[in-house]
Amino acid sequence: MTTTFRSLLGATALGLVLASSQALAADPIKIGVIAEAQAIAGASIPQAAQLAADEINAKGGVDGRKIEIITYDNHSSSADSVRAFQRAVNEDKVNIVIASYISEVVLALEPWAARLKTPFITPGAASNEISKAVHADYEKNKYTFHGYLTSAALAQSVCDAAKDLLVDQKHMKTAVIMSEDAAWTKPLDIGYEDCLPKIGLKVLDHIRFSPDTTDFTPIFNKIEGSKPDVIITGISHVGVQPTVQWKNQQVPIPMFGISSQATNSTFSKDTNDASEGVIYQGVSGTGVAVTPKSIPFTEAFKAKFGNFPSYCGYTAYDEVYYIADAVKRAGSTDADKLVAALEKTDWVGTIGRTQFYGKDDPFTHSIKYGKGLITGLMLQWQDSQQVAVWPSDVAKAKLKFPSFIKVTTN
Amino acid sequence: MASFFKSRLFFISIAIVIVAATLPLYMSGYVLGLLTVAFYFGVFAMSWDLLFGFAGEVNFGPTFLIGVGAYTAGILNAQTGWSVYPCIVLGALAAVIAGLVLALPALRVRGPYFGLTTLVAVLILQNFIVVFADLTGGEIGLTIPDVITINAGANYWIALGFMTISALILYGLAQSPIGLVLQASGQDPVQAGALGFNIVKHKLAAFIVSAFFSGLSGALLVFYMGTASVGTVVDIAVGVNVIVAAVLGGRRTVLGAALGAIFLIVAGEFLRPTGELATFIVSAVALLVVLFFPGGFLGAALSHEGRS
Amino acid sequence: MLALQILIDGFAISALYALGATGFTLIFGVSGVLNLSHGAIMVLAAVAAWAAASVLHLGSYSGALLGVAVAVVASFATYFAVVQPIQKSRRIATEEKEIFILTSTLLWGIMIQELIAYFFTNNAKTVLPIVEGVVNIFGERTTKNEIFTAVVCCVSIGLLWLLVNRTRTGKAVLAASMNPRGVTLLGLELGSIYLVVWGIYGILAGIAGVLLGMFLGVSSYSVGPLTASAFSIVVLGGLGSVSGSLIAAFVVGYLETITAYLISPAYRTIPALLLLVAVMYVRPQGLLGRR
Repeated sequence: MTTTFRSLLGATALGLVLASSQALAADPIKIGVIAEAQAIAGASIPQAAQLAADEINAKGGVDGRKIEIITYDNHSSSADSVRAFQRAVNEDKVNIVIASYISEVVLALEPWAARLKTPFITPGAASNEISKAVHADYEKNKYTFHGYLTSAALAQSVCDAAKDLLVDQKHMKTAVIMSEDAAWTKPLDIGYEDCLPKIGLKVLDHIRFSPDTTDFTPIFNKIEGSKPDVIITGISHVGVQPTVQWKNQQVPIPMFGISSQATNSTFSKDTNDASEGVIYQGVSGTGVAVTPKSIPFTEAFKAKFGNFPSYCGYTAYDEVYYIADAVKRAGSTDADKLVAALEKTDWVGTIGRTQFYGKDDPFTHSIKYGKGLITGLMLQWQDSQQVAVWPSDVAKAKLKFPSFIKVTTN
Repeated sequence: MASFFKSRLFFISIAIVIVAATLPLYMSGYVLGLLTVAFYFGVFAMSWDLLFGFAGEVNFGPTFLIGVGAYTAGILNAQTGWSVYPCIVLGALAAVIAGLVLALPALRVRGPYFGLTTLVAVLILQNFIVVFADLTGGEIGLTIPDVITINAGANYWIALGFMTISALILYGLAQSPIGLVLQASGQDPVQAGALGFNIVKHKLAAFIVSAFFSGLSGALLVFYMGTASVGTVVDIAVGVNVIVAAVLGGRRTVLGAALGAIFLIVAGEFLRPTGELATFIVSAVALLVVLFFPGGFLGAALSHEGRS
Repeated sequence: MLALQILIDGFAISALYALGATGFTLIFGVSGVLNLSHGAIMVLAAVAAWAAASVLHLGSYSGALLGVAVAVVASFATYFAVVQPIQKSRRIATEEKEIFILTSTLLWGIMIQELIAYFFTNNAKTVLPIVEGVVNIFGERTTKNEIFTAVVCCVSIGLLWLLVNRTRTGKAVLAASMNPRGVTLLGLELGSIYLVVWGIYGILAGIAGVLLGMFLGVSSYSVGPLTASAFSIVVLGGLGSVSGSLIAAFVVGYLETITAYLISPAYRTIPALLLLVAVMYVRPQGLLGRR
């Protein structure tokens, strides 16, 4: 709150200075950040962006231009986000927008990025539709960039990890998919359905539930009824409640997959340590040196904000850096030139090496998945800590489960 | 009605509308955008006031009518690709049908029971939107391919014109015999019935008019924003805002409801630097007004004029 | 086996609903007030109990007690800051007091909800359960917490019944709920009866909130649905009828559980809502309501 206020004051003061002196050389690069300030995952976005901007500014900015972050709280609503986007572009004259980890919000903003011709990157939404829309109508939608893995890539990442960890190590054979009903899980589930059988996990059942669900007892009962070896998750809007109920009801089946809230370092506290044993996908994690930049970032973030960043903190931080890089290469903040420069991004950040798929790829403007680029990793909550368990080059520990879990075929 | 055109209120209103119409000439796009939303919201509040303020029923369901209008228009546009205007008209018609469906059970019951029936209607609509997520975009929102225009000034004028026309019709209706019968039935239904007025018929008429303007406004709002979501046009919190706007502005004044709505939206934006506390502050101010100035903004002003 | 599962889970949920709705209906019976900040007070109790454990590092019993205490304080605050000024106001016409109380308790609830979200984020919180672990009931693995929830709810409602039927204060409350004017004629101070009722309400809502926090978890998003479900149950049962509310709570609780198990968890609340509309249509005064 105070940072928002201060940056607003700063914006006003700068505006006054500019109006009087016309000092174009010191024109700041304005980045609008629209995020879910009250949600665990979203709260890290403006914080991480500010951290990156402060670091860049401390080193003199981009060709003498400072980076200015202007934040907006969207209350997790697409309508508030649209209003914030309009305000950011029309009133605050931002050059580019970083917005939201919710796919629906990003999909609602995408046409606005096209209408207002303002580049826009999401740090955390996953739906395939975001980049598919860019591919389908490139001239119109080229302003949108997808700075996080698509659901298809996420599903692939979970399957790659499941092959090593579950099938090869634990000899598991069957799975049930459990995912919340939302835009980002539709392609994710298609991805799971497709790749799980290929790695040798038979899908016994597939349960989609409303993100409003509070009582997961019937869901866990149904899953237990089909006796799978593992539950493959696709959850983001929910997280605390299913995890706590899973532990309280002592559901004897491990959970493995995407669980966005588990990426946050306060997750064990929020769940009274019910998180023990939960295995989740992340692009980076506390204390995991995905690249040499990962750990210094998490430490700096912790020092400044008192907690570790959520998954979209990493991506938002990287985004500010490669936006700065693109501005430098373009030599301008002109929207079309910026888009062209962003397309040529090749940036090693905290989550790996970021490049965007081109115009001819079906996932235009989405970050590339694969070895040497961004693979993601699997982490597990062990003794109230987030520990990397996959891939082997960054893994710090073996899988470990609480006593009520029965890994039958071990 | 005739007296209205001679009253001071009329001239003040005309003056305000004229001044408001010139805003796009010198105000930034952002202020216009904010007021555009506020004007559509004003129509929601005025429609609610006609139904509640006059008929005296605790209606928690304004967003049922708004939501049906907004989503019908949005889904039609997204699914069929028809142009914006037929979708808006069909949205308003769908809201009228929804109003009739709601009126059937709602008119049989009074007081808290009426309140609950309207509340449940909203909850059911919300559930259906979530269940039929393929069509509606579910929890967080439906993305709509077309918008009316992206020109902030044009959007502003459309909203202002729409609100002015709605205000004229709704205010005229409230001052007409229909409005008086509604008011009488709200205060003493038995006596009003005994005087020979068909109360159900009048209430049904109020329902239909209220539904038409709510739905139309909802559809217009959707094509202004380019998105429809439960959080903007259906959620109970939105309904609460509509009610608070009407109570703040002064019930039974119709025009006051629009003032209240504009105040709520503008105040919410002024408080943006306070971040997450903005909603808290707006609610606290509204609560204080309700407790200490129960007549609302316009209620106080009008009662002075009425006496003079 | 599924039937047994539904029987057990449905009972816990229904008992929780019953407890939440009892206080709500009691206040309506005595003072004609529908308190729409109900959900906010329940969530506040649960979040206070959660904070006691996570922030203050208290044990689960002290945490639960703190949660209930906070609910009682919130209940009195609601009465003194919001409800009483309206009841006493001369500027608000009598027939309009109802809408004013509804609007202002709603606003009050939103204020509480926003403060919770501001200080503790809107992510779900779960209260550290007092009893942990599971037991087997005829082969169905059931959490001890679920049994605990059901027992506490039943005991609380039983105690309330004893209070109302066996003590002098309780009888005065009962009399007031039947005929407020009659009580004043008998020389009983209506004001002090209101205080007792709001106190009882605070305790019931607090217990229900803390139990819900242990059983399913709450977030600031739960405020609206909790108020709506208490409101629905109370109206379904017949406003002001405690026994009607109890029956309605079990009807709604089981209907939801059966739907969740047999059809899909996504459709959980829909049949109960449709039932409510149907009941409103054929029997507008609710199951056990007086007209």
